Amino acid sequence: MTTQQILVWKDTLKKVSEIIQKAKDSTVCYCVDYDIPSNIKVKEGMITVSGKTFVVRFKISSIKPYENQQGCIFKKKDNPRTCIEISKAEEIQEDIVKYEELSGMSIEKIDTYSILRPKEEIKIELKENPLDKLDPEVKSTYDLALKIGYNLPINICKDLVTVKKKYNVSEKDYHELIKATAEKYMENLVDPYEAVGIVGAQSIGEPGTQMTMRTFHFAGIAEMDVTLGLPRLIEIVDARKTPSTPSMTIYLDEKIRNNEEKARELASKIETTTITDIADLEVNTTEMYVKIILDKEKLKERNLQKEEITSKLKKMKLQKYEIEEDGYEIKITLDEPSYKKLYNLSESLKSLQVKGVPKIRRAIVKYDDKKKEWVIYTQGSNLPAVLEMDGIDFARTKTNDIMEIAETLGIEAARQAIIDESISTLQEAGLHTDTRHLMLVADIMTYDGTVQAIGRHGVSGKKASVLARAAFEITSKHLLNAGLIGEVDKLNGVAENIIVGQPITLGTGAVNLIYKRGD
Amino acid sequence: MGKYNILKHELVPAHELLSKEEEEELLQNLGIKREQLPKIRKSDPVIKILEEKYGPIEPGRIIKIIRNNSRTSGIYIVYRMVVGE
Repeated sequence: MTTQQILVWKDTLKKVSEIIQKAKDSTVCYCVDYDIPSNIKVKEGMITVSGKTFVVRFKISSIKPYENQQGCIFKKKDNPRTCIEISKAEEIQEDIVKYEELSGMSIEKIDTYSILRPKEEIKIELKENPLDKLDPEVKSTYDLALKIGYNLPINICKDLVTVKKKYNVSEKDYHELIKATAEKYMENLVDPYEAVGIVGAQSIGEPGTQMTMRTFHFAGIAEMDVTLGLPRLIEIVDARKTPSTPSMTIYLDEKIRNNEEKARELASKIETTTITDIADLEVNTTEMYVKIILDKEKLKERNLQKEEITSKLKKMKLQKYEIEEDGYEIKITLDEPSYKKLYNLSESLKSLQVKGVPKIRRAIVKYDDKKKEWVIYTQGSNLPAVLEMDGIDFARTKTNDIMEIAETLGIEAARQAIIDESISTLQEAGLHTDTRHLMLVADIMTYDGTVQAIGRHGVSGKKASVLARAAFEITSKHLLNAGLIGEVDKLNGVAENIIVGQPITLGTGAVNLIYKRGD
Repeated sequence: MGKYNILKHELVPAHELLSKEEEEELLQNLGIKREQLPKIRKSDPVIKILEEKYGPIEPGRIIKIIRNNSRTSGIYIVYRMVVGE
C-alpha cells in the first residue's frame, strides 16, 4: 500500500459516469465550488457516492484556480473556484474504512472535500502466554507438584518458593513440603455438588444489607457524582445497558503523565463543547435570523479558535442560508420566513458539538497521590473513541460501563470488569466479601458469551427447567407456555425436584447407588 | 476495526485458538462435551482479532483463555466454545 495522500469528495452517480465517459478520451476539467490550498500535493483522487465505498479512482494532473474555461464539468453550477484536471479515471470498489483523515477527523461525512491516506495496517501480536514468563523457580515448583499429581495454583507455588528461600529448605524436604501443601489444598477445595450459588448469594447479600444502612448516597471525586453502595451493586448484577453515572478513568501516556498542562490540554480535547457552552444564541423571529454571539473568554478557556466554529457551521448543511460574520458575531438568516425552520435551526445549533468526544460531558484532571501521576476522570463514557486517542495509556484506561467494555474489549474483559467493579464497590463501603463469590457471579453472568443480568431478564429467566422458572416469577405464564409447546422437564435442578418431592441433586442427594445384581 | 489492538489492554487476558487435536485431548481430559463449555460469541472483538491471525473461526472451535490476574490462583486457564450470533 502506498502512503500517498488522496483527495476525495462526494458526488452524484450521474456526475461520476459523466467523468468516466469524458476521461476516456482526454483530460477532464472538473470544477468545484471551494478552494483547495495550493500546498496540498495530491496526485490521486477518489469519489464516493454513498459515503461508504469509493466508486472511482482517478489521476490528477493539476489543480489550479478556476478560470473561464470551455468543456468543464461543474460540481455545482454557481460559484466555481477550483479546477481539477483529471487525466485518467477508472471504476473501483474500495472500502472507505481503509482510509483515515489526515487531520484526524471522521470520514463518515464527506461534505466538501477531504484529504485521506490509506490506514496503516496494524500488526497483530497475540498476547504472550503468561505461563511462559513465569519465574523459573515457581515454574519448577508447579511442574514438581504436577508430577506428584496435583495441579497447584500459581499463587501457592509462589508462596512455597518464598518459604523455601526464607527457611532454606533442602531439596528433599521441599518435595515433602509441596506434597503436604497440595494435600491440604485439596482438602480445602469445594466439594462436588456443594451449593456454591446459595453460599455466594448469602455472602454477598449479608454485607449488602449493611450497605443499605450506611451508604445510600453519592460520593466521589471533586464535583463529580459516581453511584456507590447498594445502588451500584444492583446496577452491576442487573447488567444495565448504561450505568446511572457512567464514568471513565483515563490514564496518560508516559510522556505526559507528569505534565499537568498537557493533561489539561488533553482533557479539554475529550470534554464535549457545544455552541451553548461558548456562545449565546439570539433568535430573532421578526427578521428570521439566528445570531451566535461568541464569548471570547470562554473560547480561550476551552482552547478554541473562531475559525474552528465557522468551519463546523459550514459542515452543517446550511448552504441554503445566508451566513454573515461580524467579529465575534455570526448571523444566520433564513431564506424564507418559517417559524418551524427557525426553531429547527436554533435547536440544531444548540446541540452542535464543536469539540470533544461524544457522550463525555465533563473531564476533570486530578493528581493521583498513590500512583504519582495526573489522571483524567470523566462524566459520561465512550471507551472506543477514547482508546483511539493519542496521549492516553491504552492498557490502563477504564470505564465503569460494563456493557461498553463487553462490546469493545470482549467478554473476558467484561468478566474481569464485573469482578473489579463489585469488589471496589464493596470495599468502598468497608466490607470484605471473598473474591470467589463475586467471581462466581461474574462467571455466571458471562457464561453464554454476552453479559446477562442475574434475574428475570437474564440467568433466572433462561433456566432450562419449566418448573424452576415457574417457581421464580410469573408462574402461570411459564406453565401455560410449557403446556402449549409440550416442554419436557428433565428434573435436573434443585427447585424442580423440591416441587415434585424428590431428593435434590445437592451434596449427598447427588449420589446415586446402583445395585449390582449378581446373576 | 480500530487502529488499536485490544489485546494490549490489561483487562483482556491472552486468548489462543486450540487446534483440532488439542480440542479432542482437552475434552477427553475434562470428560465433558463441547457444548458444556462456557461460550464466546463469534462477534466478540477478541475473536475478530484472532480471525485476522488464523483466518475464519467457525462456531464450535475452542478458545483457550489464560487469565493472568486471577485474585485467587494467579494464573488460571479456562476454555470457551465459539458460538455464532
